[in-house]
Amino acid sequence: MTQDIPMHDVVMVGAGPAALSAAVYTTREDVDTLLFERGVVGGLAAVTDKVDNYPGFPDGIEGLTLADNLRKQAERFGAVIELGEVSGMKREGDFIRLETTSGDILARAVLIATGSDYKKVGVSGEQEFYARGVHYCATCDGAFYRGKRLVVIGGGNSAVQESLFLTRYATHIDLLVRSTIKASEILQKDLEQAVKAGKITVHLHTTTDEIVGQDNKVVKVVGTDTKTRSKVDFPTDGVFVFVGLKPNSEFLKNSEVELDSIGFIKTDKHLQTSMPGVFAAGDIRSGSTMQIATAVGEGATAALVIREYLDGKLTPVAETTEEVVVPTV
Amino acid sequence: MVKNITIFTTNTCAYCAMVKRYLDSKQRTYDVVNLDDHPERQAEALALSGALTVPITVVTKEDDSRQVVIGYNLAKLAPAITG
Ligand SMILES: Cc1cc2nc3c(=O)[nH]c(=O)nc-3n(C[C@H](O)[C@H](O)[C@H](O)COP(=O)(O)OP(=O)(O)OC[C@H]3O[C@@H](n4cnc5c(N)ncnc54)[C@H](O)[C@@H]3O)c2cc1C
Repeated sequence: MTQDIPMHDVVMVGAGPAALSAAVYTTREDVDTLLFERGVVGGLAAVTDKVDNYPGFPDGIEGLTLADNLRKQAERFGAVIELGEVSGMKREGDFIRLETTSGDILARAVLIATGSDYKKVGVSGEQEFYARGVHYCATCDGAFYRGKRLVVIGGGNSAVQESLFLTRYATHIDLLVRSTIKASEILQKDLEQAVKAGKITVHLHTTTDEIVGQDNKVVKVVGTDTKTRSKVDFPTDGVFVFVGLKPNSEFLKNSEVELDSIGFIKTDKHLQTSMPGVFAAGDIRSGSTMQIATAVGEGATAALVIREYLDGKLTPVAETTEEVVVPTV
Repeated sequence: MVKNITIFTTNTCAYCAMVKRYLDSKQRTYDVVNLDDHPERQAEALALSGALTVPITVVTKEDDSRQVVIGYNLAKLAPAITG
């Protein structure tokens, strides 16, 4: 019975930079907006140590502070953030019905801004030592490695940025990179400095084969130097994994929303998905450039388009974007 | 009945902020042990949880029994602070 189910003009799935920015726009226009967040309000921006490239902050800003500011701004205009998860979505007449941890709700329009989560490396020991020597969040767990040795796995922006952050705690970091470093130039320069200072050693063309423990503790990572095909041991007290991101789109598997081959959401030029009334913005969108500034920009665009849609003024565009190669993070 | 709640946190931990936000929304008071300010208490957090992570939330009941919640996990935190 639809009349017993709470109804909203817009429901946003996720409360990262994209959705919070969108919520500032919708709520300022008195569009009733509810956001669902299963993790941290502020999304991946909140777990990032320092953000140096978000315009308007000449000295950079702590990710947690930026996230908190975005939240406060959205809440100031009336955005409501529910701590919970959306697990499914289907059309119901003029509405979209969302299954959530707080029960079903109906929305006239939906913005999906669920971003992505860290991938696992998928080696033995990774699951066994999760949170007891194997970690995916440097700003959360780095403090436990004061004066200790670490291995960081990955070669993209996240791996380099988080390795640099971890040097404030660890005495030494072995950075295991499957092929070559794919981080931005500025991060590579910072990495060079850390290498020169003896804080980080970079091991290129090195796969991670196994995380080995003894007496309930991680003691080493076993890798392979793919150039010499020789096994290499990296003694360590802990491992941080940053091997890329996977889109948070599992909950759309049985929906009308079309995904690309990796699982990112395809949209048209209005950021509308293949399911009318459902829009996508930020990292979850196929072709996104995976930056806070762009997520915020897409959030604002989506909000303005959603208002048009709610007013019945949006002309449908059938074709979705071409599949786009996702940049390394 | 809950006697007291202690959260082990660090300065940069976003999930710690979420635990505090959740407890605030339920009008629960709590003590905070910031491991950046008190690294000597890391061993205590590890002994209580078996995990090298924050947040660690320790809920002590009236009968002094303890429930330890690792990370920001509403499915565990919500029942721990009720009853
Ligand atoms: C280590 C690291 C460092 C970075 N550094 C920078 C930087 O310096 N500068 C920069 O511009 N960008 C940086 N980025 C990228 C930036 O964080 C992202 O581009 C940005 O956060 C994307 O915002 P978003 O709102 O699209 O998604 P996210 O920030 O990922 O937020 C999505 C939210 O949706 C929630 N969610 C997912 N599924 C569901 C569901 N089913 N129900 C309810 N909630 C759900 C998630 O919990 C999450 O909080 C960094 C990323 C990482 C990982």
